[in-house]
Amino acid sequence: MSHSDTIPLHPSSQSDIDEIENLINASVHQSVPSARPPSPPRASIPVSVSVSTAPSPFISSNLPPPPPLPKSSVSAVTPSPPPPRPGIATSGFGPAPNTLTEPVWDTVKRDLSRIVSNLKLVVFPNPYREDPGKALRDWDLWGPFFFIVFLGLTLSWSASVKKSEVFAVAFALLAAGAVILTLNVLLLGGHIIFFQSLSLLGYCLFPLDVGALICMLKDNVIVKVVVVCVTLAWSSWAAYPFMSSAVSPRRKALALYPVFLMYVSVGFLIIAID
Amino acid sequence: MDPNQPVGENYANPRTCFFHVLFKAAALAFYILSALFIDNFVIIFVVTVLLAALDFWVVKNVSGRILVGLRWWNEINDLGESVWKFECLDHESLARMNKKDSWLFWWTLYLTAILWIVLAIFSLIRLQADYLLVVGVCLTLSIANIVGFTKCKKDAKKQIQQFASQTIASRFSSTLQSAFSVV
Repeated sequence: MSHSDTIPLHPSSQSDIDEIENLINASVHQSVPSARPPSPPRASIPVSVSVSTAPSPFISSNLPPPPPLPKSSVSAVTPSPPPPRPGIATSGFGPAPNTLTEPVWDTVKRDLSRIVSNLKLVVFPNPYREDPGKALRDWDLWGPFFFIVFLGLTLSWSASVKKSEVFAVAFALLAAGAVILTLNVLLLGGHIIFFQSLSLLGYCLFPLDVGALICMLKDNVIVKVVVVCVTLAWSSWAAYPFMSSAVSPRRKALALYPVFLMYVSVGFLIIAID
Repeated sequence: MDPNQPVGENYANPRTCFFHVLFKAAALAFYILSALFIDNFVIIFVVTVLLAALDFWVVKNVSGRILVGLRWWNEINDLGESVWKFECLDHESLARMNKKDSWLFWWTLYLTAILWIVLAIFSLIRLQADYLLVVGVCLTLSIANIVGFTKCKKDAKKQIQQFASQTIASRFSSTLQSAFSVV
């Protein structure tokens, strides 16, 4: 009796396994027709896209199952995910087949929306704070360039003498500082991408830019110190999750200290120049 | 014949060629002329570097794909790795590209980098570290575009070769099948 009872369970479990396999095959077949519809427009538009790393399409095909879960959780937690979603979606699929033949205005709009979304990651609470590697995945150097120049201009305007030297020192300090900080993380054995790091450090200057602007308008030393401390804490808080996750926990302090040191030196520049 | 020759070979995209050259010329001219007339380093720096950045963007995103059918950019994939991506038109479209546009594109690209190198040497001779900063930024942008488009061009050639080899293979198999069918 027990044997006869256990025997029919095996075929039912096998049938379940077969059904699961069929579902997997069905999903694979469904993916194939989804790939077919874009092929006609590709045929109509003679554009071919190549990727330098061959395994990336396979990896991207393997990854689709995990992303929806964190996306839903992120959307449940905060309303800010909607902006990064269209950015990622459009950068992932939309522009790829059309970037060679799109109008110039579409290119401009895409770059501007990227800059805005990157700025939001720094100014507002970071939705990727628990997974900082995703922050500034669509890196760009326009924001850092603008913020460094703006800070240099503000400091040089505040300075009564030697405006040129103040500007040159500010720019060189920030540009070289960002490069050195990135190399520091690389030398510590951290996993970081050079330009992504430059982009992040540049965007994190935004609070200090605001602080510098306020200090230029107000001449009171006490107000200056308070403003610089607040903006310094803000910049450090924005840069912390990214830098800390790039290296192993044991070397976190070694990676974070130089970042803090650079921001502190910028803060001193803002306070001292009068 | 005489009126036909100049009309036959002309720039296919004169407006794009104009903007391709405009920002380069503006950056170089402003740097050289302002070094002679203006003494304010901050203004020189900001305007020159801004023009160089605009030139970089225009070449990378607009004139590159219109004049030579190439585009390149850098992405970060889901694994957190930096990936270089290149786009190029297919073989027929590349063949239809205007030779004059392509010539202007590549020559102005190299010429600009050479000019910035010369200006960098002048800054070194005069021991002006601040102006070397300006030239360094502009030179970096210029070289980045040269490297990007050179890699893009090589990748395009590789794709064309793959396409050609596939065509030859398919023709060979079809010939073989026809021979067997005859037998």
